[in-house]
Amino acid sequence: MDKNIAISFRNVSKSYPLLYQKTIKEFFQAFFTKQKTIEKVKALKNINLSIKKGEIIGVIGKNGAGKSTLLKLIAGVSYPTKGEIRINGKVVPLIELGAGFHPELSGKENIFLNGVILGIDEKYLVEKFSEIVSFSEIPMDFIFTPVKYYSSGMFMRLAFSVAVFSKPEILLVDEILAVGDIAFQKKCMDKMNEFKKQRVTIVFVSHGMEQIKRFCEKVIYLKDGGVEFFGDVEEGVGRYEREILNAKHQTF
Amino acid sequence: MFFTHWSLIKKLTLREIKARYKQSFLGFFWIVLNPFFQMLIMSFVFSKILKIGSLSVPYPLFIYAGLLPWFFMVNGLSSAMNVFISDSSLIKKIYFPREILVLSTLLAKAFDFFLSFLIFILMMIFFKVPFSFFMLFFLLIFLIEFLFVYSLSLILAAFNLYYRDIQYLFNLIITLWFYLTPVIYAVEFFPEKYRIIFQLNPMAVFINAYRQVLLGGDFPKWSSLGIGIFLSLILFFIAKKIFQKLEKNFADVV
Repeated sequence: MDKNIAISFRNVSKSYPLLYQKTIKEFFQAFFTKQKTIEKVKALKNINLSIKKGEIIGVIGKNGAGKSTLLKLIAGVSYPTKGEIRINGKVVPLIELGAGFHPELSGKENIFLNGVILGIDEKYLVEKFSEIVSFSEIPMDFIFTPVKYYSSGMFMRLAFSVAVFSKPEILLVDEILAVGDIAFQKKCMDKMNEFKKQRVTIVFVSHGMEQIKRFCEKVIYLKDGGVEFFGDVEEGVGRYEREILNAKHQTF
Repeated sequence: MFFTHWSLIKKLTLREIKARYKQSFLGFFWIVLNPFFQMLIMSFVFSKILKIGSLSVPYPLFIYAGLLPWFFMVNGLSSAMNVFISDSSLIKKIYFPREILVLSTLLAKAFDFFLSFLIFILMMIFFKVPFSFFMLFFLLIFLIEFLFVYSLSLILAAFNLYYRDIQYLFNLIITLWFYLTPVIYAVEFFPEKYRIIFQLNPMAVFINAYRQVLLGGDFPKWSSLGIGIFLSLILFFIAKKIFQKLEKNFADVV
C-alpha cells in the first residue's frame, strides 16, 4: 500500500445482525411462533475511501447515516462484512466522557489507566505526567482526588490531555469537543493544528458545521450508509445543508 | 498476548482491587469477612443444629476450605459475565484483546482468594491443625481451578452480550451446583451410587483436592485431579475457539 495513505476502504460494506430478542425467553417464544429472530441491517454500503496521511477529514451526515460505524471500522473495533480496510498508523480514539475512567480512582490513577489503554508506554507516562496534568489545567493537588468529584469539563480535559500525549498517527474525534469553555476549545484547536503540522491524520465527526468548515480541508458526507460526497469541505457542507433544508420544506 | 499487554492487565486488575476498597470503610475487610461469616453461620447451622458434620477435622475449617474455592468460582463468573457490559464504552471505542477484561476481573478475585486464605492459615493455627509441605500443592490446584473458571467466564461473558438473561439462568444453576458440590458436606454423606457426580463435577474435584492437601496432609488424589485437569483443558480450548469467533462482533452487539 502507498505509504502516504493512512486509511483505505475498498468496497467496504457493514451489516449488523439485529437480534430481535434480547433474552433467551423471548427468543424461544419467537422461535416457536415463527417470528423473525435475526435481521441484517446494512449500516454501510460499498464504501470506497482513500485518506492520505496528515489530512484533516470531517465526517457529516444525519443520525444513523453510518458515521459512528465508520469510526468503529477505522478503530479496528468492528470488522467489515465485505471489502477490505487498510490502516497505516497508530489509531487513537478520543475516548468519551467516562469510558475507561473509574470514578473511584484519582485523576492520576486514571491518567495511567487511560494512557495504558491507549497504548502509551508506562515509562513515558511517568515522564510526561506533569505535562499531562498542566495541559489539562487541573490543579496538581486536585489530581489526587477521585474523579467522581470532577466536573464534566474537568473530566473531558483530562481525557483529552491523555489522548494528546498518546502520539497518535490517526486521531478519531467523535463529537466531543463541544464540552469545555472557550479557552479550552481554543487550546484543543491549537493542539489539533499542531497535529496537523505533524502530519497526524484526523477524522472528525461532528454536527457543528462551523467547526468542520474551520478545521477540515475535506469532508465525507455520509447518507444512508453510502458516501454521498467526498471532497472540498465548503462544497460538502453546502450540499449537506441544502439537502437538509429541502427535506424540511418537503415535510411541510 | 499475555506479555505484550501485561501493562494493561496490571492496570485493569489494580483498578478492580483499588476501586473496591476505596468504596467503603470496611471495603477491603468485607472481602475477607464475607466468607468468614458465612463459614461461621454455616458451621453453626449445619453442625450444631442439623448435625451434619463429624469428621477428623474441625467442621468450620472443613467448610472454609470448601467455601473459598467456591466463592472464587461464583464471584469470578458473576463479575466476568458483566464485564463487557459495564465497560461497553471502552469496547465500542478502542481495540485491545477483550480477554484482558475477563482476565483482570479474575485476577482481582484471585487476590481476594489469597487474602481469605490468610485467614484460613490463622484458623489452622487456632484449631491446632498441623501444617505440612503438601499444602503447597494448593497453588497447583488453584491454577487448574483458575483455568476452569477462566474458560467458563469467557463463554458466559460472550453469550451474555447476546442474551442478557443468561445471568439469571446462571444464578439458578449456581444454586443447584452448590448442593451437588461437597462444600458443606463430605463426600461420604452421599449415597455411594450417586458419587459419580463428584467425579464429573470439576468443583467437587477441586474442593476435595484442596481438602486433601490442606487438611489431610497428603497428596491430592491424582486420578480425580487428572480428570479435573483434563476437563479444564478441553473447556479452555473450546472457550478460546468460541470467544475468538464471537469477539469480532462485541462492539456491534454491546
